Amino acid sequence: MTARLSRFGIPSVLLLWGGILLYFCLSGRVVSYLHPSFQWLALTAGAMLTLLGVAVVLAPDAGEACDSDCDLHPAHGLGLAPLAVLVVPILAAALVSQDHFSATTVRNRGVVDYIGDLPAFSPAYDPALPQHDGTVGEGTMMDPSLYLQTNAEGRILAETVDLMYAASDATMREDFAGREVEVVGQILKARTDNPSDNRFHLVRMFVMCCAADARPAGIAVEVPGPLEFSEMDWVKVTGRATFPVENGRHKAVLRADGITPTPPPRESFIY
Amino acid sequence: MAHPISHAMNDTWFSFSLQDFSYSFLSILFEGIPFILFGTLISGLIDQFLPARTMTRLIPRRPSLGICMSALLGLVFPMCECGIVPVIRRLVAKGLPISNAVAYMLAAPIVNPITAISTYAAFRGQGPEEFTALRLGLGFFVSALVGFAVLNLPLRAVLKKSLLEECALPQPQTPPPREPFHRRLIAAMHAGIRDFLDVTVYFVLGVAAASLFGTAVNQEIFLPLALNEALAVPAMMTLAGLLSLCSSSDAFIAATFVSFPAVAKLAFLVFGPMMDLKLLFVYNMVFTRRFVAGLAIGLFVLIGLLTLRLGIVFP
Repeated sequence: MTARLSRFGIPSVLLLWGGILLYFCLSGRVVSYLHPSFQWLALTAGAMLTLLGVAVVLAPDAGEACDSDCDLHPAHGLGLAPLAVLVVPILAAALVSQDHFSATTVRNRGVVDYIGDLPAFSPAYDPALPQHDGTVGEGTMMDPSLYLQTNAEGRILAETVDLMYAASDATMREDFAGREVEVVGQILKARTDNPSDNRFHLVRMFVMCCAADARPAGIAVEVPGPLEFSEMDWVKVTGRATFPVENGRHKAVLRADGITPTPPPRESFIY
Repeated sequence: MAHPISHAMNDTWFSFSLQDFSYSFLSILFEGIPFILFGTLISGLIDQFLPARTMTRLIPRRPSLGICMSALLGLVFPMCECGIVPVIRRLVAKGLPISNAVAYMLAAPIVNPITAISTYAAFRGQGPEEFTALRLGLGFFVSALVGFAVLNLPLRAVLKKSLLEECALPQPQTPPPREPFHRRLIAAMHAGIRDFLDVTVYFVLGVAAASLFGTAVNQEIFLPLALNEALAVPAMMTLAGLLSLCSSSDAFIAATFVSFPAVAKLAFLVFGPMMDLKLLFVYNMVFTRRFVAGLAIGLFVLIGLLTLRLGIVFP
């Protein structure tokens, strides 16, 4: 039984895992799971597992190559329980996963609204940012052209983290404060720091390696009337950027004048 | 006081979503499988092409020197915690003393250039030199110490029976002379595949446990522990064990726990790559359950005490 399971089960498992990895990579779904620096590794692993699966099927003498101590060795055979562990969870997860987290997990992780609490945050006073002669360093967050791009209507196209950065840095704050901005993100109702009950969080998932370490990075959005969207809906918010002092520090609060539904961006993560 | 997780928490400590669990589960699998595959393919090549007892000849005969050298091997052969287990399994079968193998296994995910660079980068502005040096130094020290402890244990108390039998088999000193190269390559492939499937079974179970914690448990429950150093250290080690992060990137997560004392973050960075939920399962592929349990408890106590002591010496 074990020998037969091994003979057919091993290539089947390899082809299944390789197929799933290749499917997620080639269909583009992988961008919702992995940081770009890991995506090529997943693609390579998928291709290798598929090749290994085919090689095991096509190499009739592979068993003879190791005679008694090969893949049919009872001590190393693929039993029914291991086979189930290797097949059922990944197949079920691939079928069930929606490629994003619901509000349940986002709430369990908590919204990060202070830039210093995000992984890999570089404070603006990092000596690498401004040059010694006082000019702006090339390609750094201090370069306003990187975060002050505007759309046709003259609104600054910002990410949630841009406004979080601005809240912690006086120079950036001056660039944003009182200006019209446009920000895309997901809605999460604010349960704290919401005294007038007119705020929600606009969040994006900040990722280091994979979705499992994603942290919701969000800013507060104030709305004049009732909110007609569901939690975790993707919206485009336009409004005025403000940075009131709350709990002893500047906080990014977007006073919204327009909220429209928008499709999720191709890459829902920010890095 | 700043907390990395501070707003919009759920009211209950546990709220499960199957879709979120599946999403997290797949993302960790996709991240970890390439490294496991890489490690197991190396293990297959070791099985077929590394003559038995080669490692014994390369490593110094004096156990103390051998263990210390093994704990530093990661600087030359960096491996992550997922990929290293099948490699050390083959190395043990090829004659590497188990104490050396354990020292290499525990140290390599920490004492390697990639982890050093990522730790330095993550702790910019928080004493990166000190953090990096202390992480690598403590990682080396703890691994060597565990290696010395294992030196005094009988093999049957450490290794699984199947591996013990494999070690006991008489092995040829050189590869069979008439075996063509391509046949050995095929045999290496099969050995690697066997290892891959073995490790992956345990990896899947560990990832499932880590995903359950990562998606269903309200992480706010850890925050009150940050206020007390004696509680913060075990809390951060527990968190490291539950989150099961990759050692090449865990420093970026640890650095964000700004409310926690530095020694607690250090404990997180040293304990996590040596013992976490997924490793708890993966180690069972090589070691006896009793040894794995002892290793988990021993590492928790040892790293906890050492980091607390460091907190007194370097407040």
